[in-house]
Amino acid sequence: MTDILARRTLEEPAAEQAIEDLHVLLEQLWLDAAFVPAPDQMAFTTAVIEAASNVVQHGVPTEGATLLLGVELTVAVERLRAVISEIGAAPLDPVPDLAGPSDLPGPDDDALLEDYDESGRGLSMIRALVTTVTVEREGDTNVWVLSRDSGQG
Amino acid sequence: MEFTVQDKGHYTEVAANGRLNMVAAPKLRKVVDEVVNGGGKRIVVNLADTSFMDSSGLGALIGCLKLARQSGGDLRIAAVQPQVTMVLELTSMNRVLTPHATAGEAFGND
Repeated sequence: MTDILARRTLEEPAAEQAIEDLHVLLEQLWLDAAFVPAPDQMAFTTAVIEAASNVVQHGVPTEGATLLLGVELTVAVERLRAVISEIGAAPLDPVPDLAGPSDLPGPDDDALLEDYDESGRGLSMIRALVTTVTVEREGDTNVWVLSRDSGQG
Repeated sequence: MEFTVQDKGHYTEVAANGRLNMVAAPKLRKVVDEVVNGGGKRIVVNLADTSFMDSSGLGALIGCLKLARQSGGDLRIAAVQPQVTMVLELTSMNRVLTPHATAGEAFGND
């Protein structure tokens, strides 16, 4: 079992305020885990905010439920891990393709500008910024797990 | 996030202070829309105090760039910080939004 050196959690309604609170939570995490190299902190923070924003923007609550965003961030010596839960959510339809190669970067500059797809880009960024990303259905919750190896930790 | 708009003579500077995320992105679009509607053609978004940008923020910048060009103008970015540089490079958007060292240099002698 890997020793957890720093941990932060959050659970609140999946709304804009949750994203602002998550930024603060990540800042607190890095104060506790200052040994994590800055590029790893930056990449992990970006991926976590992308995934959480995806929940707030696109999560669909099940009938009568309030959609909640749950986040658990843990830091081990060489591993950063985020469990992002979409609580009270309808199943993802379609389930995002997380296995394929990242479609970054794009074609020529004009097409790059015209074809910019914000939500698709967010998912591509997550895949590029972490070592593994998975999403699973557990009860009434869609659970995203992001993991990034932190090589020089 | 706070935005400050300043007429600098040959360009309009929009300084963005804070995190350019899904909360701030619509505000940036609104601010730049007002500059363009007010006749602003050359816009520089000063990112010196922008500590974070995600795909929503980048989407807003791309939307603002398109808006400026559709009105016969242009939008450039300046003083980009490391996390924003990472996102621009990761998405290859640095090819269409080339960072300039300072707001004053963004339009140079154009």
